[in-house]
Amino acid sequence: MDTLFRLVSLQASEQQQQQSASYNSRSTTSSGSRSSSHQTNASYNYYYHSTSSGGGGGGGGGQYYYGQHHQQPYYLEPYQEECGNAHHLYMDEDFSSSSSSRQHFHSHGGGPVQPPTSSAATPTAPTPPLSTSSTAAGAAHALFEAADLSFPHDLNLDFSSPASSSGGGGGGAASSAAVGGGGGGRWASQLLLECARAVASRDSQRVQQLMWMLNELASPYGDVEQKLASYFLQGLFARLTASGPRTLRTLAAASDRNTSFDSTRRTTLRFQELSPWSSFGHVAANGAILESFLEAAAASPEPQRFHILDLSNTFCTQWPTLLEALATRSADDTPHLSITTVVSAAPAAPTAAVQRVMREIGQRMEKFARLMGVPFSFRAVHHAGDLAELDLDALDLRDGGAATALAVNCVNSLRGVVPGGARRRDAFAASLRRLDPRVVTVVEEEADLVASDADASDDGGGDTEAAFLKVFAEGLRFFSAYMDSLEESFPKTSNERLALERGAGRAIVDLVSCPASESMERRETAASWARRMRSAGFSPVAFSEDVADDVRSLLRRYREGWSMREASLDDSAAGAGVFLAWKEQPLVWASAWRP
Amino acid sequence: MLQGVLSRAPAADKAVVKPKRAPAAEEAEEEEGDGRARGKRQQLHGGGSSAAAAAEGEGPETRGLRLLSLLLRCAEAVAMDQLTEARELLPEIAELASPFGSCPERVAAYFGDALCARVLSSYLGAYSPLALRPLAAAQSRRISGAFQAYNALSPLVKFSHFTANQAILQALDGGEDRLHVIDLDIMQGLQWPGLFHILASRARRPRSLRITGLGASLDVLEATGRRLADFAASLGLPFEFHPVEGKIGHVPDAAALLGPRHHHHHRRDGEATVVHWMHHSLYDVTGSDAGTVRLLSSLRPKLITIVEQDLGHSSDFLGRFVEALHYYSALFDALGDGAGAAEEESAERHAVERQLLGAEIRNIVAVGGPKRTGEVRVERWGDELRRAGFRPVSLAGSPAAQARLLLGMYPWKGYTLVEEDACLKLGWKDLSLLTASAWEPTDDIDVAAATPRHESKET
Repeated sequence: MDTLFRLVSLQASEQQQQQSASYNSRSTTSSGSRSSSHQTNASYNYYYHSTSSGGGGGGGGGQYYYGQHHQQPYYLEPYQEECGNAHHLYMDEDFSSSSSSRQHFHSHGGGPVQPPTSSAATPTAPTPPLSTSSTAAGAAHALFEAADLSFPHDLNLDFSSPASSSGGGGGGAASSAAVGGGGGGRWASQLLLECARAVASRDSQRVQQLMWMLNELASPYGDVEQKLASYFLQGLFARLTASGPRTLRTLAAASDRNTSFDSTRRTTLRFQELSPWSSFGHVAANGAILESFLEAAAASPEPQRFHILDLSNTFCTQWPTLLEALATRSADDTPHLSITTVVSAAPAAPTAAVQRVMREIGQRMEKFARLMGVPFSFRAVHHAGDLAELDLDALDLRDGGAATALAVNCVNSLRGVVPGGARRRDAFAASLRRLDPRVVTVVEEEADLVASDADASDDGGGDTEAAFLKVFAEGLRFFSAYMDSLEESFPKTSNERLALERGAGRAIVDLVSCPASESMERRETAASWARRMRSAGFSPVAFSEDVADDVRSLLRRYREGWSMREASLDDSAAGAGVFLAWKEQPLVWASAWRP
Repeated sequence: MLQGVLSRAPAADKAVVKPKRAPAAEEAEEEEGDGRARGKRQQLHGGGSSAAAAAEGEGPETRGLRLLSLLLRCAEAVAMDQLTEARELLPEIAELASPFGSCPERVAAYFGDALCARVLSSYLGAYSPLALRPLAAAQSRRISGAFQAYNALSPLVKFSHFTANQAILQALDGGEDRLHVIDLDIMQGLQWPGLFHILASRARRPRSLRITGLGASLDVLEATGRRLADFAASLGLPFEFHPVEGKIGHVPDAAALLGPRHHHHHRRDGEATVVHWMHHSLYDVTGSDAGTVRLLSSLRPKLITIVEQDLGHSSDFLGRFVEALHYYSALFDALGDGAGAAEEESAERHAVERQLLGAEIRNIVAVGGPKRTGEVRVERWGDELRRAGFRPVSLAGSPAAQARLLLGMYPWKGYTLVEEDACLKLGWKDLSLLTASAWEPTDDIDVAAATPRHESKET
């Protein structure tokens, strides 16, 4: 039912839409609150137009229009002029007060964009549909600057390309690839991409038009398309008002204030119960860590101590199964296990909630270890800032002396190293190498959200328009798949899903509206992580058949649509790791590395 | 402001509102509160859709209060055009609210969403609803589907149908055996099978029966027509359907609705023309209220049946917002009582709330809402119809009896029925939700002089 919003056959309404769009703005120069009633007309005329041309039952169309407006039927037919009718002048405090707000509308990073309705905005615009001078309405519309409001013609092309599937008339070359075959109705992705392009090219009218449409269609509580529209629109809005970091702070603070141990636990556990998204990486990483520990123990005559440096913000949900496996697979004495978990957050982000949560988790972990008979110590290190600023040497990871086997677990944590000049991510991988771990497990979400290889270059990660567009499109692809998997995995009315979607929404705001040099959401592809790991002096450890079997049996517990893929040898990940795919799209990558 | 709001809160909200008079202080306390206590409270009412209703603890009440206070602060910021301040408040509202939570959480989810959309539209300077043809049909179907679910969840829809149908039957007692119903917003025509049924079971079956239905999408109208025709045929009733794609306020004259055959002759033919209109805030039905009044007075139907939402739109934005907050709090409260906690049922309720009530809230909160046209609106249709030469027909007889029967049939407690003047008012606890009324032309044919006047000049 919710995929009813399909913009696939819009070409039928190109002109009408254009027309209706035109009446959508009000002049900032309106004095007082008087204005005219075009908005009414914009919304209804379309129907009359179609009635008259389609010969429908409503009566002849011609008679609905006042005579003097017929000189240009192409534009004017859908427009019913009722000016001169005193009833249609309104006094609306809403309209007048709101119009003054548009001065807030700025472009991101650059100078202010023309206000959407500024009178100078459209020197090249087509003939405005309302040449009011020839109409009786002239006086009534004096406040209404029609010339500002014409709608970019080529937008019709953007809509009509998907309509080619519905066999449309005057469309134009189908150039947009946004329409996925079967489902259709990917209107949000299309509109969002168009909007991002308009933002990048600073076409303020088009931005205004597209954002208006998105705003009307979006809902954080609707279907996947509506949710995507809602969250990406929020990002675009923040970008255009140059308020990305502030918006993100507000969002994070609100989330933090309303996060408790229970709500976090509920969401995390429900996510694991219904989707393999997080457990996939846990199972793969645990398998690799356990095997390397047992290997170390077998090779060493002395009793071993194990230490895991956990750089993941996964609330330790990964560890109970590892503790259990360690207890059952150790022959005699279960070796001592230490876990140092580093909880890092953006410097500005409040951490009160996370600290509350981690205290509780630490107690539970210790209790569980006692239950399992695993000698255990647990430490949570709170770190403000990104991981590259973490002093690894100060962590004291060799508490058991040289015999300690160290594993470093990086689940969704490498992306928390802000990309930027000076090869920060490469440097971080190298610092892991210096710890001389037995194994490093890397789990990352598969998306190419670093603007360019310029991460390595000097431009600070690239906040150019081209970079913005690339990240926007890739973020849209990735979060579409993510939201889609959530939608299909969770029941329709789930607060846990809502919490996960809001988390994604914050990441989207970060990606779309915040400078790359402050972003902790810049995921990279397996190929680039593998390249970084290799150049830091690591080589990949293949997952054993046992581990692969564990992953496969894990996936069988979930709904259809999930699969495991070996990284193929021909891509540049060069055979490292395995992917979790949703509907054939690889979305999570798990890998293991040793020096 | 807040004091005023609190004292005006409907019964449904009183439990929430009573405990403290100073929500700001409460809020501060809450924020100091320790994590575990908060966690416990969240557990009480989070997760399950009905948990909050059962929870007696302070949690939901505190949260309800915080949400109320945040919504009002945000609305005040919007009213004062302080959009940056409003934006700062929206994330907190969204985090606290949930469309799957307790009644205050659900209401706040939709009001928060509506404020968010309004703020963005104010920045954009773009206030119209989207009017695209493919959307019109899709939206019609979507709304129709939700209305069917609503019909099952709440007596509001049936109340409208039953009451109007009874009024129509009463009006037919004059002896006409030809009936023409003009439904100003027919949607799926859910109302009419009930009327057909009664007409077919009467001793004197109608000689002709036709319905003229107005709507935004010809496809949907035609599908409605086919369904109604099938149903009429199964009862052996003669039936014609005329779809009119468009809005009543733009229909040029009565002839366009009556059809050429019947024009000027319809009264002599013994055909009773009845106009029916069930109000909502999902979209603008009339196109032009003034045009609608003009048309009704020239049409001079034998009867006009109207079901209005008891939701004023006349005040400024803040007044409108506060009134709608009360209205929908009661409506959500009523739905929460009616729907069970089972997964399927709560999904159904969610669909109704999101597609109908949430959409209405968006329109009401929007600039120029709920019609979102900026056009002058008729605030009280009764007054306007009086001026146009109509007088009220009492619904105290069988319509009231039917409505009482209906409310008795449903297991839900809390709905009330009040006869006031000639109208029937359906309420939830002590807040009136819907008013049904019926109107007939006055005898003096001085209609031409009855120029429509307008109550309200703004939104």
